[in-house]
Amino acid sequence: MSLFGPLMGFAALVLIGAGFVWVIRAEYGLGWRWWYVFTAGGLALVLLSLVLPSPLASGLFGIAGASIVWGSTELKAQADRAKLGWYPSNPRPKPNPPLWQLFSRFRPPQL
Amino acid sequence: MSAQWTGLAAAAATFAGVWAGHAGVRTIEFRAARLWPAASLLAAGGLGLEALAAIAGSAPVAAAAGILGMTLLFDALELSRQFRRVREGRAPANPDNPRHAPYLAARAFAPEGSAAPEGSAAPADPLGPAGPGEGKSE
Repeated sequence: MSLFGPLMGFAALVLIGAGFVWVIRAEYGLGWRWWYVFTAGGLALVLLSLVLPSPLASGLFGIAGASIVWGSTELKAQADRAKLGWYPSNPRPKPNPPLWQLFSRFRPPQL
Repeated sequence: MSAQWTGLAAAAATFAGVWAGHAGVRTIEFRAARLWPAASLLAAGGLGLEALAAIAGSAPVAAAAGILGMTLLFDALELSRQFRRVREGRAPANPDNPRHAPYLAARAFAPEGSAAPEGSAAPADPLGPAGPGEGKSE
């Protein structure tokens, strides 16, 4: 019997819970247009997990990466919730992400 | 150097668990007349997967089972939170669900501009913003 699997489950609970917080803050400070930056960052973490020698570190990177990719799909929905008044809306202008001219033609994924 | 597959298994389990939970909780809450049978099944499934995670010999399998088990346990709790969103008007109510009927009736007879029954933002449409695919936080 090993606690590795349940520990991974607990880590997923914590990291997904952290996702609730960062999605709200990222949408407030940066806006939903940054979705592809977070998608790329999450996928990079998942790829990095493949080359880590430790199963524990690899698992944590995989969970964090997938959680960030999921959060990136929630940014537009969070912007809609803020527009409805369910969350604070930032009155200040939000910065455009890098390469926005290139990615503005893509619709943000909403699952 | 061989690849470490634990991270990929963990990532796939996390994404699939969150996605399935996201959609499943909304659908079950929308359709089920009683929540406790579904919550009990989800909790039992979650505990079973945690037990499997504890005895699995392979790290990728243990990680995937541990993560999916935890998401099922969380979904069991999330059912009641989704019902709260329906009561508050932040998720669609189902007119065919007897559990939702009192809230729809209260909103239908509420005076114009009065507070929602649960004291939070009432939607213009008592059936909510859309179908069961809308109205759940992350």
